Amino acid sequence: MRKVLFFILVPLFFVGTSNAIGQQNQPDLTDSVAFHDFLIKQNEVPGLSVRFILENKILTDSIPAASLFGFTELTSGGLVSSAFSQLNQFTKLRDTLKLLNPKWEFLIFSQPSSLTASQEYVANLLRNGDIQIVGQSNLSSNDLILLASKLPYKPLAQYKFQVISDYKLFVVTVIIVFFFVMALLMILFMLVFKAKKNKREQLTKDYEFLIVGPLTNLLFEKELDEIKKLSDAEINDIFPATLLSKALFQHVLIDKIIGLNKKMKGDFKNKLKALYQRLELNKVSLGNLKSKQWDRVATGLVQINEMDLIEALSEVKKFTNSPNFYVRSQAVGTLLNLSDKMDLVFLKDQTYPLSAWQQMNYLRIIKFLYQSKELHMKSLFESENQSVRLFGYKLVRLIGLVDFLEDLGKLAPNASDEEKIEIIKTYEVLGAHMQADFVNDCLLSENPKLQQAAAQAIGEIGNKESVTILENLLKSQPEFRLKMILLKSLQNLDSNQFEKFTSIQMDFDTQRIKRHLLDPLLRHV
Amino acid sequence: MYNFLFFLILEILGVIFLILSFSVISIYLTIMVLSALEMRDHIRKNHFADYEDIVTSPIAPSVSILAPAFNEGQSIVQNAQSLLSLFYGKFEVIIINDGSKDDTLEQLINAFDLERTSYAYYPEIETKKVRGIYKSQNISYGKLVVIDKENGGKADALNAGINLSEMEILACIDVDCILSSESITRMVRPFMEEANRKVIAVGGVIGIANNCDVQDGTVTKYRIPTTLLGRFQVIEYFRAFLMGRMAWTRINGLMLISGAFGFFKRDVVLAVGGYFPKTVGEDMELLVRMRRYMEERNIPYKVGFIPDPLCWTEVPESEEVLSKQRNRWMRGTIETLQLHRVIRFNPRYGVLGMISYPFWALFEKAAPIIESTGIIYTFILLFIGEFSAIYFFSLLVLMYLLTLLISAFSILYEQISYNNYKDKKDLNRLILTVLVEPILVHPKIIFWGLKGHLDFITGKGGWGKMIRTGFKKAEDRKNLETQSQNS
Repeated sequence: MRKVLFFILVPLFFVGTSNAIGQQNQPDLTDSVAFHDFLIKQNEVPGLSVRFILENKILTDSIPAASLFGFTELTSGGLVSSAFSQLNQFTKLRDTLKLLNPKWEFLIFSQPSSLTASQEYVANLLRNGDIQIVGQSNLSSNDLILLASKLPYKPLAQYKFQVISDYKLFVVTVIIVFFFVMALLMILFMLVFKAKKNKREQLTKDYEFLIVGPLTNLLFEKELDEIKKLSDAEINDIFPATLLSKALFQHVLIDKIIGLNKKMKGDFKNKLKALYQRLELNKVSLGNLKSKQWDRVATGLVQINEMDLIEALSEVKKFTNSPNFYVRSQAVGTLLNLSDKMDLVFLKDQTYPLSAWQQMNYLRIIKFLYQSKELHMKSLFESENQSVRLFGYKLVRLIGLVDFLEDLGKLAPNASDEEKIEIIKTYEVLGAHMQADFVNDCLLSENPKLQQAAAQAIGEIGNKESVTILENLLKSQPEFRLKMILLKSLQNLDSNQFEKFTSIQMDFDTQRIKRHLLDPLLRHV
Repeated sequence: MYNFLFFLILEILGVIFLILSFSVISIYLTIMVLSALEMRDHIRKNHFADYEDIVTSPIAPSVSILAPAFNEGQSIVQNAQSLLSLFYGKFEVIIINDGSKDDTLEQLINAFDLERTSYAYYPEIETKKVRGIYKSQNISYGKLVVIDKENGGKADALNAGINLSEMEILACIDVDCILSSESITRMVRPFMEEANRKVIAVGGVIGIANNCDVQDGTVTKYRIPTTLLGRFQVIEYFRAFLMGRMAWTRINGLMLISGAFGFFKRDVVLAVGGYFPKTVGEDMELLVRMRRYMEERNIPYKVGFIPDPLCWTEVPESEEVLSKQRNRWMRGTIETLQLHRVIRFNPRYGVLGMISYPFWALFEKAAPIIESTGIIYTFILLFIGEFSAIYFFSLLVLMYLLTLLISAFSILYEQISYNNYKDKKDLNRLILTVLVEPILVHPKIIFWGLKGHLDFITGKGGWGKMIRTGFKKAEDRKNLETQSQNS
């Protein structure tokens, strides 16, 4: 349907257009008088001129205003004037020569032409719009075309700003505006940020100055009970209420108290904790836990941990499975540190994998606590989270929990290869000779990493059977790194057998590994 | 017809330059915002990091420091002592004497009581012949191992070090770099923090040590270099490290870790076959290959970056040396991008293929060509009378202001984060350098970059010829790809 309409409408459009073009207002030039009148009125027509011819030979001196005509002699004996393109002079010049009975002749582009040809030429010019009729005030569509051909193109819609009409200029302007707006915003932001930072640093210095003196006096002059019983008025004498309500002042005060708490011992620690509570800074720490910014939450957790805010433990527990790594780490650290009841059971349920960073932090705390507190480390072996189980095995090794070797022995056969490696390393470090059979089995594993771990451990905890396995493995031409570990373990387990084996196996790799293993300088590499 | 085509090309070029101008502004403004966010996060995280724990913790990873040395006889002993005094528990220092023609090895032997060992060196990565492996009789230098090998270039020397190392993390450094005593503890942190993704490499900031006071292996007093080229490099390093690399880290799109100070996960380096010795951009190439390896196996990974000032080096202040360095950098970039062009606009490679690679190709590799084309375009417009002063000066002033903005912000970042250059005179000089750099230095950088392109095409300079031959035969690339796929 659309196609049909298109084929109907498009020709109609062109028909309409051509009709409009045909309706032009042209004068009738077929009549010679009208033609002359038109030329006189028009004065000038491009390419058209006229000249006078005097057929009889007449002395030019007798011709009135002869110099005006510029007569030249014709071969036929007559005279011919120069060509005049100013056609409105025609009547005047003809009248001057009236007595001599002149003839005239039209020239089109300097070529003599008949009246009819001249008429057609002018008519053509008019029809094509190459000339405009003088004095015609009402512009027809014909004139528009004429004007259009003479004037440089201007778009139909005249925009007010050149910027918008020129697309390149427009794009450049947009880029400049974009740049300046963005640059301005960034500069403003940085200036505000820098100004705030400077102001904050200055205020921090001022507050530190206001805090250090009174805080030291309080610690040395007041007893623990006195600090606990400080009235609001007394507190306001030391730290004015206007300052104490300011967030930055509270922040500096907390930092100073925590800083001192880390350095001091015994009674001073208790005094600082009492003061922290009395100044209601614990509320600030708890308030930090409600923040949406992870760093504020983590700061709150650090404060709770440092100042032993046991009342906040229920809140802290909510963050042990936080998606933020830092919050999670701090929360677990705080719980382990502060809670008497808290053990490692909660860690068992952690869904996020434990990073090495977290493990390092937890290890530090657990090392400190494991002798004074029941941590239920075995629960870690039951976790659904593999990283937690691996951490559990590492704990056994790093803390030296020999009692747990039996539990590991039960778990190891069904564990994944990654866990087996960790368990084997633990056996190696703790010298678990009773697990040699399990490690011997792992020596035959197809997983090269597990095989390497087992080969390394067997050097420490292996038995007679291990020596046979090692020799068999060495005869099967293992890759270089494994061969080196196997030979080293063989050397550790049975130096005589090692010597015997390497004396028989004379291949290049075995011999250079032997030299390596016997080199005293390389013993600790 | 030709006339029409000529004007059509001019018109298209005009539009391309407009799009490029807009892209440059948008991208650099985005980089500024991203780097600010990353810097903010880094400072926040630093607040909760107890680095002293890492030094002694048995859970912290072990580190092999690999330092290739070539004709470093004058300073090698001091540099080795500085490396041995780093504050960390589990680390070893492997110095690789890459066929020095001076007394580098003798200096080391005498200073550290070294003896040739019977080390069973096994080249998992192929290298030039290793002549000997040395260790000290003195237990105080127990962490030091020296490899003496035939000359094969920096990448080859590092590969020899990788073969020997047995630690989890490789710290590849330039032996003449000054490392902060805290450098290892800070750099291993990202490796330890991530649990969901494997951190395959961590880059660090390189500070400029020219004109600074150095005591006991640490910069004690910061001063900016005395020459314009030196000062320009200070700002350039701020821009590159504190702004560029921080922003790329934000979106995990970092493609380059400086060869002078970079930490890598050893198992991944071995899996991809170590450094590729036939390129002059071995640092960038290795990282791109490691990333490709991880992407192709769909293993979640991350490339980290630590903006703390931990490593300093002297930068060239003469035009001759700097031009050679820039030429080499450009060739290295071209070679790496050529070698790994399979990742270009390839969604399989995620940010690496869709953002990092195109950015490097357009704004690093092609930058000298684009800028030179712009100049030629302007002259053509002038010649044919189509030159529009309003466009030209608008864009010129705009680009100049953008450069000023970026450079000024990079100085501001340094001031807010570390504030190492405390002298106001130094700051004023840096600001002056920022103002004149686009006029006095940038054209030279463009010229040297262009020369790098030319040298790459003609196969001149360093290892350029070798890699081009390799491309022709397609052997090197094939080997490289096979290595990457097999491992």
